[in-house]
Amino acid sequence: MTNLLQLLIDALLMGGLYALMSVGLSLGFGVVRIINFAHGEFVMLGAYGAYWALTLLHVDPLLALPFLIVLGYLGGWLLFRGVVAWVLKAPALNQILLTFGIALVLQHIAVVLWTGDVRSAMPEYALSTTIIGDVFVVHGRLIAFLVAGTLIAALTTWLRYSETGRAVRAVAQNHDAAILMGINPGRIYALAFAMSTALGIASGAIVSFLINITPFMGFSILLKAVAIVILGGLGSIAGTVISAFILAIAETMVAYYVPEGAGWTEGVAFAVIVGILLVRPRGIIGSALAT
Amino acid sequence: MNPPSAAAILLAVAAAIAALVIPFLGMPLLTDIDFRICALAMIAISWNMMAGAGLVSLGHSAFWGLGSYAAILSANDLGAPFVVSLVPAVVAGGLLGAGLARMTGRLRGIYFAISTLATSEGLRVLATMLPDLTGGGNGLYLDSTLFPGNAAISLAIPCGAIVAALIAWAISRSRYAFALRAMRNNEAASQMLGVAPIRFRVGIMAVAGAIASLAGAINAWHGGYLDPGVAFDLKTTIDAQIAPILGGVYTLPGPIIGAIATIAFEEFTRALFGGMVGISLLVFGLVLVAVVLVLPQGLVGLLRKTRRR
Repeated sequence: MTNLLQLLIDALLMGGLYALMSVGLSLGFGVVRIINFAHGEFVMLGAYGAYWALTLLHVDPLLALPFLIVLGYLGGWLLFRGVVAWVLKAPALNQILLTFGIALVLQHIAVVLWTGDVRSAMPEYALSTTIIGDVFVVHGRLIAFLVAGTLIAALTTWLRYSETGRAVRAVAQNHDAAILMGINPGRIYALAFAMSTALGIASGAIVSFLINITPFMGFSILLKAVAIVILGGLGSIAGTVISAFILAIAETMVAYYVPEGAGWTEGVAFAVIVGILLVRPRGIIGSALAT
Repeated sequence: MNPPSAAAILLAVAAAIAALVIPFLGMPLLTDIDFRICALAMIAISWNMMAGAGLVSLGHSAFWGLGSYAAILSANDLGAPFVVSLVPAVVAGGLLGAGLARMTGRLRGIYFAISTLATSEGLRVLATMLPDLTGGGNGLYLDSTLFPGNAAISLAIPCGAIVAALIAWAISRSRYAFALRAMRNNEAASQMLGVAPIRFRVGIMAVAGAIASLAGAINAWHGGYLDPGVAFDLKTTIDAQIAPILGGVYTLPGPIIGAIATIAFEEFTRALFGGMVGISLLVFGLVLVAVVLVLPQGLVGLLRKTRRR
């Protein structure tokens, strides 16, 4: 039984991180209606940001986090105004290819600048553990979970109560009605995209001390995030968070109980994507359109 | 669609002859470039075929990789010679295309694109996790006693590309072209007008899947080695979409012109930056972004515009 408890704790801590990775993607899709295939690359850039802060400036990833979030916000805003905004009215084909191209560019800028070497940021808490009863809790994972939880809570509060946050939700729900209420959708799009980028960068910063950092890490992260967002229903934050935990638990169980499970875990996300698209394309808490 | 001009037909025939003759000139570098252009043209034509029906594929490496494995495995395990081993590859690609079309029956746009992406990644995991069949992560070498010689393989790929182009041409001349274009613009409306989208979807994806699989199969004989990372490489998916976009999406010559331009581009960046890792894909990404923003009709669109002036 303790084994099961340990697995659940591991999955829970992982789920928080998955949630943060996917919430940004979900926000971007819900408001701007573009699936950003470069989202995984934002996570990658965030991880490198934290890594360089630690190795070059001896700044802890957690201290670097606020700066990275601001940088991510500015970068996302520029990317939106400079590039993404031009295809908002274009066919889906152009939007898909554009963000795919951006992903390719960011990924290989990283290859050129920092080579393909595998790195990892190792602050003191990355590997230290506490034992509660029979359960091991790795401090790094716990911290990542807490940071992710805080950021998601802040995002939800902001969306729910602030004037701008409500404008964002209004645009997401009904673009035309929002314009009639005097909201400038262009501004809201830029804001939401920038916020989504900042969330990607933030998850990168806290991923930096949990997994290996390479220029190519973004793609598998993106696929997991896409699986989670689709499972939760495109554009639903609550659905995204719930399905992040579902995926984390499913992956942990597969890794542990299936023979050679560690290899199969990579497949869980794809099985989820295909399954949910076939059975219930609206997701579990689906408010998103099925077009 | 307007009938092609005499000049266009002449150019197409000249290109086909050039592609067929180059392997016999005894110039390895040129033969290699010819091979890569033809292989790329095949997956680009296949991708463009699906895009023409409104089906954006982000998983062409699924067809490519499945074809590679089908060919190599039927050669190694059943002793099938080169040409015979291409048959299971074509069949497997066609079945995967048709099956995917059936499965994704009601998905469109981004949802369809994501499901193709998931399919190709799923197949990669499957190939890794079934080492008894595929050799797993260690990979798999082609039985070298079966190797038909470079000439046969170098000739097979332009033949494949020409067949693919002819199929695309035949479709564009038939009445199916109208149904497919209607599906691309509005699938629900096309259904109202009596087009059965699912039938066309299954048909076009079976054909497109078979073409991409064939290209992967021939390429596998060319390379002689397979592992899941090679077979289901994301680069294949990227190539398959860059070439038609660069050349001119939804057009007949677009994927072919795009394939030539893409390979030329690749050689150019390699000459310019030498062995700097990552530069060529970085440039690809920039081209993709730039073309989508500035030149959504591709090179073909540019040509048509300048001619009209």
